[in-house]
Amino acid sequence: MEDKASSPEDDALRDKIRTLLANGLETEVWPRAETSEMVNQIVNRLQTEAGDDLKKTLKIGGFTDHTITADDMEQPCETCMYYLVHRKFCELPELDVPVEPEWSCRLWRI
Amino acid sequence: MANLLWLQGGACSGNTMSFLNAEEPSACDLVTDFGINVLWQPSLGLELGDDVKAILEKCISGEIKLDIFVFEGTVIDAPNGTGEWNRFCGRPMKEWVKELSEASDFVVAIGDCATWGGIPANAPNPTDSKGLQFLKRAKGGALGEGFTAKSGLPVINIPGCPAHPDWVTQILVAVATGRADDLTLDEFQRPKTFFSSFTQTGCTRNMHFAYKVSTTAFGQRKGCLFYDLGCRGPMTHSPCNRILWNRQSSKTRAGMPCLGCTEPEFPFFDLAPGTVFKTQTVMGVPKDMPTGVDKKGYVKLTAAAKGAAPAWAEEDIFVV
Repeated sequence: MEDKASSPEDDALRDKIRTLLANGLETEVWPRAETSEMVNQIVNRLQTEAGDDLKKTLKIGGFTDHTITADDMEQPCETCMYYLVHRKFCELPELDVPVEPEWSCRLWRI
Repeated sequence: MANLLWLQGGACSGNTMSFLNAEEPSACDLVTDFGINVLWQPSLGLELGDDVKAILEKCISGEIKLDIFVFEGTVIDAPNGTGEWNRFCGRPMKEWVKELSEASDFVVAIGDCATWGGIPANAPNPTDSKGLQFLKRAKGGALGEGFTAKSGLPVINIPGCPAHPDWVTQILVAVATGRADDLTLDEFQRPKTFFSSFTQTGCTRNMHFAYKVSTTAFGQRKGCLFYDLGCRGPMTHSPCNRILWNRQSSKTRAGMPCLGCTEPEFPFFDLAPGTVFKTQTVMGVPKDMPTGVDKKGYVKLTAAAKGAAPAWAEEDIFVV
């Protein structure tokens, strides 16, 4: 079976995202996607406004380079249902970006 | 010989179509091998008009012994409780249903519409549809909570949209061959032999459920459909992955989320936009948990299982 560990391309893109977030890229961290309706709205915005634009994807998704706690629950990529552990990758089709386990976004779901 | 009469109310005939696809035993086997005499069935009966009416009247009077009365579709009460929107053989179907049920040894409701109202009874329920003994989760229905057939059994509910042909034929054979005492029913009067386990039982995606790997889009053969695509397999009572459809497959095996069609609430969330094929969440946690699992335990288990997931669990392992 093909090894799906993080690829050099993923690593490069992950570094780029890390730098963007560390340099203060403002993202829509709040409000979190509290309801399914909010999830649908955010996903719809990702589809219509972000497309292949990385910065817009990070912004609308509400990415942070640290874990956010909401409703008394930590929301790291590490426990998110869209996270591929071995590839360190977010598989939600509208995001589709390499991440770090301690990062977070407002579409987190478990 | 057991006489069987099958009528349809507010129905799409889907359960009849499913029944006619039965293989082991087939619909013909019921007649030739198991002594079931089909008095009339909407898709099989030769009689028309007054000849059908005569059969129904003889069943009610006792001139023809009615052993099994099968009903498919909702009992329609509209308008204003008259049932006139569903007339059959010169009178409202609801009146035939009541009198035939009282005359029969066994009453079997087949499909969601006949069991709890199904899609026609969804809000705003313009036809005032109900099942034979339930309206969704509430007991009562068209025959009332206390109804029992002559055998002493309440309506035997075989839900599904449609019901699997084997569920239908095996229950009919059990009743027709004098083994009704072997049937045990759950709180919704479903035969426990079929409706004690979950749709998830036997699902080929169970390993992905265990390691919390999600199917994130249709067409993926890896991942579990529960986490994102609204699959209700972990909380729906049915044997869909034990008794396969067409002896071949099931919804979830084919990549289609279970819609929970054997449960009284089906269709869930009143089919509101955004609720079908999408797991409903509250702050990232599924609104409906696998049966018996609480939120705290679910979150703990998921975090642990995700961390322990092997690489292969994230791959499409069904490569030909």
